[in-house]
Parts: sequence; structure tokens; C-alpha cells
Amino acid sequence: MTTPPGTLGAAPAEPVVEEAAPPALPALLAPFGDAFPVAELGVTQDGIASIRVERDGLLSTIRRLRDELGYIRFIDVTAVDDPSVDPRFELQYLLYTMAEHRWVRVRVETGESVPSITDLFPAANWYEREVFDLFGIHFEGHPKLVRIMMPDDWVGHPLRKDYPIGGEPVDFTVTRAVYATGDRRG
Amino acid sequence: MAIHTERTGMDGDPTTVRATNPEVRTSETIPPTERKRNLMKMNLGPQHPSTHGVLRLELELDGETVVTCNPIIGYLHTGIEKTFEVKTYLHGLTLTDRMDYLNPLGCNLAYCLAIEKLFECEIPERATVARVLLAELTRINSHLVWLGTGGLDLGATSIMMYCFREREKLLDLFEWMSGARMMTSFIRPGGLADDLEPALLVAIGEFLDDLPARIDEYEDLLTENPLFKERLIGIGVLNGDDAITLGVSGPILRASGVPHDLRKSNPYIGYETYDFDAIVGQNGDCYDRYKVRIAEMRESIKICKQALARMPGGPVKTANRKVMPPPREELGVSMEALIHHFKLFTEGIKPPAGEVYLPVESPRGELGFYIVSDGSGQPARVHYRGPSYANLQVISRMAEGGQLADLIVIIASIDPVLGDVDR
Repeated sequence: MTTPPGTLGAAPAEPVVEEAAPPALPALLAPFGDAFPVAELGVTQDGIASIRVERDGLLSTIRRLRDELGYIRFIDVTAVDDPSVDPRFELQYLLYTMAEHRWVRVRVETGESVPSITDLFPAANWYEREVFDLFGIHFEGHPKLVRIMMPDDWVGHPLRKDYPIGGEPVDFTVTRAVYATGDRRG
Repeated sequence: MAIHTERTGMDGDPTTVRATNPEVRTSETIPPTERKRNLMKMNLGPQHPSTHGVLRLELELDGETVVTCNPIIGYLHTGIEKTFEVKTYLHGLTLTDRMDYLNPLGCNLAYCLAIEKLFECEIPERATVARVLLAELTRINSHLVWLGTGGLDLGATSIMMYCFREREKLLDLFEWMSGARMMTSFIRPGGLADDLEPALLVAIGEFLDDLPARIDEYEDLLTENPLFKERLIGIGVLNGDDAITLGVSGPILRASGVPHDLRKSNPYIGYETYDFDAIVGQNGDCYDRYKVRIAEMRESIKICKQALARMPGGPVKTANRKVMPPPREELGVSMEALIHHFKLFTEGIKPPAGEVYLPVESPRGELGFYIVSDGSGQPARVHYRGPSYANLQVISRMAEGGQLADLIVIIASIDPVLGDVDR
């Protein structure tokens, strides 16, 4: 663990970002103005509109973006972990509209469980498995929520901030230790 | 630009033959009782030459027919996203080379553009044009490896030798440029690691002049080859709507008839000022994916030549001293330069707090870096949205119901890089 102390709390997406947004803000957010409360909207440095939703409103928001606003292509979902706040995870969904060539980001702060969007976007299947594997967030309703990157019998979720780096013995060191003792019959 | 596939000389269109043939057995048409009795389970990979790395496919076979195809990945997972969190941004750059190892400069590019977006720093014109040149050369490099190894999977061994001949020249150029053949780490936050010397630009120009004739050679070997067409046409069909819904990107998406190319739709590093076409296919089968990639190589040559022609003079590193260290000669005469140098090499660059997602069009599709900065010298979170990950997810859809031998063709046509999938 070499993450310097005191940096974890300064994670992303505080109102500072919204203040620094470029003047294009109204135009970029205009399509969402009717559908979502303005207080939940923002633009990050990359010029991507973002919508903050509650955990319960996640599915309805994603469905609305897909069916009413034309965001028909799923790009990505990932999580950011900040153990110092509650709930500790922030999920980031990224969708794309093929008509206007723009991304939209949906953020939801959550604990260890969140509804799965695989019914709406089958492409999210592997992405949700990855987040489950590396962060330990359960996606309710996912057809096959099993580990995808780590071995099936792995314990722990490596991308959590409290999971130490270098905490795992390197393969074959055990064998080497056995050789060092001279007890080769094991 | 749309490509058209001549289908004369074949006994009917295999696409329709396959779709209308009631004999084709898939997981839907075979009753579960029969499944238990007769299906054979088989593992393809992870150590198999045609899986292009360490991909494992768990198959259920009914004779030669693939009934279910379940990809199992993770054999190359090295925890790169976790490693980023304990590295400085510059150290992290070397990890990006090793993700999509056939497209190292493209990965460098996306990573650097994301960091520069956080800084809002100006990049000199020469560096921007050189980045276009390098990104397109890398695309050619990647497609050459795809063509060579893909041909090898089909038993066309000579195409491999032809492609690697050209790739070798390209790697020599990269070695001349950076000292490394593959893991160049040459595109850096704030510009390039070093200037491109004039003799190198001349050599790149000569290589590009030579290449179209070479691609003609590959096409002579394959494009109208009846055996090759027989193996590819109508195999692994993915229609446009499915391709969008399933999150596919890059040449596979375009081969399905969706004209989506980030260089056109969301231009970055000045792609809107270059004259080139986004290549679109029609049928979404393996043959169209082959033709799209071949045509893309020719488009890349066009872009590279334009970049060479307009290559301006001037510096290749930003003047922003918070991103790029000052030149060596300033250190002896400027206290401020010395401080910047010291701070950069002890603490690393420190982007302002914020988050950014920056995608580029890699040879395989939409490659994006999502970086969260907390203002310190190490990123709070780096996420890599690799194109192969989404593309590989679709393999079951393409392979189920087809022949086992066709599965090999489908893997080759997806062009997965397992370093890109597993990270």
C-alpha cells in the first residue's frame, strides 16, 4: 500500500468540476433538461455530460436514455472505490448515441449491490462480471455472475483500495522455499 | 466508402444457405435431453496457436457442429489497472505499451491524450502531426500481424512470411525512432519522447511508397482465391443492429455495415483535416472483415503520406513545465528549470483533480482510458476500455451453429489481442 494518506477522500466528481465546466454546458445538457433534474447534471473535463442517479433510479434512467434519447450503444461500466465515504463505490456507466456521436455518463453511488443492466444492454454482461470480480459489487439479475479475470477460487477483490498490492506470494516461490530447506520429498 | 463482395462462381450464397438450412443444429434447436447424451465437451486453448494468445474456449460439439461456445478469459490478467495506482503517470505509460501489444503507440496516445485533457495543455503542431503518423503506422503494423497470423490459421502459410517481411521493416523504423521495436513508450504526456529525425521521415516515406504494391501482393494471394473465399464468405455473420447492441467496435462493426469510426465521428488530434475514408462492409461476415482491414491499410497509407507532407518544424514537447521536463541545457543556467526537473523526476506529473474518459480508434475499435486524478502524482483510478474485450464477447453469437473449423476463422477475424482483453 503506497497510496499516500489523505488522498482517497479527494476522489472525483465534486461540484468543483461543474463550476469549471466550459461555456458549452447548456447546449450539451439541453437534451437532458426535460428528462432529468438539473441538479443531477454536469459536465466533466472531457466534455461528456453526466447524470447522477440514485441506485433505485438506475434502470429507469438507462432505459430512458436508450429508448427516448437514442443512447443505444453500451460502451463501458466501471467502478471507483473510496472506502472513506459511505457508500464506498461509484459506478460509471458510459453510453453512446450513434445519431449525435456523443457519450453520456451515468453515475450511481452504491454499496455492494446494484441492479444489473444486462436485460437492457446484453453487452454489459462481461463488464459487470469484471466489476464483480475486481470490486465485489453484486449485480442483481445478472445471468451468470462469476469471476472473469481472477481464478474461480480467488479470495478478495483486487481493485478495492484496501486490497494490498504485493500481498500475494509470487508463483513458484513456495517451491523454491521447499528446495531451500532440502526437504524435496515434500 | 463501401466495399462490395463479388460472389460469382460460388454455389449459392452461403449466408442464405446457412440461414435456411433446417439441418443446422444450435443450442436452440437441439432438445435438452439429446444434448446430455450426445454432445462432446472440448477445450480449445488456452495453449493453442490459433487462439492468438491464451484464450480458452469451452465448446460443446455435436459432431463437427459447435452447439455452445463459452469463452474463458483471464489467463493473461496481470492486474495492470491496480498497478497504475502505485505508479507515477510516466511509469504508467510503460504499462500501456503492454496492454494491446500490437498497438503500443495507440495505447500511449489514448493515455497521453487523457492526461493532457486533465492539464488542458497545448501540444506543439509537430508533435500532433507526428502522433497521427505514428498511430497510423501502428495500425498498419497491427493489421499486418492480423493478416499474417489469420492466413496461417487457414493454412495459408506463405502470407505470414510476406506480412512479417513488411512488419519487420516497420519495426526497424520504430527501433530507429525510439530504440525499442515494440514497447516504444514514445508518445509521452505533453508531446513525444524525442524528435523524429529527417532521415527517419525519409525512410518512413520510402516504406510507404513501397507498401501499396506489397498489399497488392497479399491481395493477389488471397482476395480472389476460391479456397480462401470458401472459408470466409458467410462465416461468423453479425448484422449491423446486433453489432451495435452487443457493443462491438472497430473493423468488425464497420464490416457489419455501420459507418462508425471515431476518427470521423469524434475526431481527435486533427483527423478531421485529413482526407481518408471510413471503410464500410455490407455482409458482416469474415470476408468483409478481411476486406475492411485490407482497405483500412490503404487508407492509413494515405493518412501517413499527408502527415509526412505537412510535417511542420518546431518543438515536439509542450512548453508546459508541469508536464514535460525542461531541456537539458536549461538546467545549468535556470534555477526554475532545475526545480521543475527535480519535482518532475521525484514526484512525477500531477494533473489537477478530475476525471476524464478519452477514446481513440485503435486497429481493433474504441480504445478508451478513464483516468481519475486526485491531484497527487499517482492516479486514483485508471480504467482501460479495451476494444477486444467487447468484440470477443460476441464470439459465441458468431460461432454457435457453425462448424468447428469455422470457429478458427472467426477467432482470426475478430483479431483479439489477449493483452488487450485481460490486462
